[in-house]
Amino acid sequence: MRMSSFKKYFQVAKTSWSGGFVYRLNFVMWRVRNVVQLIAIYFLWFAVMSRNSTAFNYTTAQMLTYILGTSLIRALVFGQRSIDAQNEIGSGDLNNYLVKPIGYFKYWFSRDIADKLLNILFSIGEIAILLIWLRPEIYLQTNPLMLAGFLLASLLAMVMYFYFSFLVSMTTFWIPEENGWPQRFLIFVVLEFFSGGLFPLDILPPAVYAVIGKLPSAYFLNAPLQIYLGRFSATEMASTLLMMVIWIAVLRITANWTFRKGLKIYGAYGR
Amino acid sequence: MADKLKRLRIYWKIWWTSSILSVESSLENRLGVIFLLSGKIVRFVFFIFFLVVINRQVQQIAGYSLNQMITFFLMFNLLDLFGQLFFRGIYWFRDQVVTGEFDFKLTKPVSPLFQALTRHTDILDLPLLVATVIFLFRQGITLTTAQSMIFLITLISGMVIVTAIHIAVAALGVMTTEVDHTIMIYRDLSMMARVPVDVYTDSVRALLTFVIPIAVAYTLPAKSLLGLVTLPTVILALAISALALTLSLRLWHYALTQYSSASS
Repeated sequence: MRMSSFKKYFQVAKTSWSGGFVYRLNFVMWRVRNVVQLIAIYFLWFAVMSRNSTAFNYTTAQMLTYILGTSLIRALVFGQRSIDAQNEIGSGDLNNYLVKPIGYFKYWFSRDIADKLLNILFSIGEIAILLIWLRPEIYLQTNPLMLAGFLLASLLAMVMYFYFSFLVSMTTFWIPEENGWPQRFLIFVVLEFFSGGLFPLDILPPAVYAVIGKLPSAYFLNAPLQIYLGRFSATEMASTLLMMVIWIAVLRITANWTFRKGLKIYGAYGR
Repeated sequence: MADKLKRLRIYWKIWWTSSILSVESSLENRLGVIFLLSGKIVRFVFFIFFLVVINRQVQQIAGYSLNQMITFFLMFNLLDLFGQLFFRGIYWFRDQVVTGEFDFKLTKPVSPLFQALTRHTDILDLPLLVATVIFLFRQGITLTTAQSMIFLITLISGMVIVTAIHIAVAALGVMTTEVDHTIMIYRDLSMMARVPVDVYTDSVRALLTFVIPIAVAYTLPAKSLLGLVTLPTVILALAISALALTLSLRLWHYALTQYSSASS
């Protein structure tokens, strides 16, 4: 990316960051929702683990770290503004971008970065408060290799989800009803379960995990946290990271192809 | 009395007509219906599967067996779907306040609160509601007459609280023009009752019982179905639901005095 181009998208991210502070009440209430969801699932797992120091091959510290960790990784991976792309496709507002010297994907990715930073900042604060309040047993990873793998996996998951979510948004070209919300809702529900948001996926029966563990959704939350908890060997970690890179390539090519195909049938409804 | 019956018939007719229109409008987008309905069913099935997975290694959660946990989840669904099915109109209420469309509701000879809450009946929640009732019957729970009465009272008090919360959200909507996040925070809080509130700490439980009485609305009917509720608790539930309804109605009437009709 050239310097001038970088500046352009940096400005988009900066504007988006400022926008986050304009609708402060909205943002705070959004974060309150996240905390409520986290507390609900945390206490459920706390109750499950309270009578067993080890269950599902997890210690209490590992399980609670996994659940609290999902909040942080959620902010990085699932925090996004680009979900609005489906509204723009459905309402015809996409026109505004087609006549501007701006890449649609890069535009939304820049806005997503700003949104993720804002969400991560709040998420760190929320987790700190919860740690002080609940004083849970926490698993601290000290192996530098695993920590580096965790960071890299988290960043790769973020990019993977961006393309995945964009693909969902682009279904609005073909199914524009309610600006693509019905299909997005179904995907949300499935993702919540298959990404490991409620529990680590490897507690599922082995036959089920063998299938679900291979889906792209398993890399969004489950894989980074499994690496953090040291449940992957170095070889498994390397193959997981490699798979994530392959998935990014596949999703990116598919998203670009779908966008081009979608533009051909785009009717700018509502304009 | 005759006047009241006549008023009731008018309200029934309005609700019935708007429900038929809602159904027709929902069914216009058939593919959307399939996606939304699938999402609701998948979410329901996944959570039960999740409880079953936990039960493979942990026999009891907070002292409850798998079957009891499923009963709590089914009762949560029953009351949640009651709110979703009948009071879906709240999700469109913000637009009415912001655009000033609410002015027209105020001029009609029908309660504006009734119009705000029941504007849309979500037919898509009906199949899951029926399924939930069937599953509850299949739980094979037997109750004595006294226990059945207690269950009915706690169920009605739960429905009253759910209604009261929707009224309070509508009132806050008039005062602050903020509805979407408020109702979603309520939905998230109510999700905490997918499992018995006994899993939470005392402070969280107190919050869910006395501040936003989710526990009274969702957990108590389930406990009464399991025969775990005593008479004093039923009286407390009745008092809390009556108080919640009274306060929410007062808040609504106060909110109407604050309505600025800004955009009209």
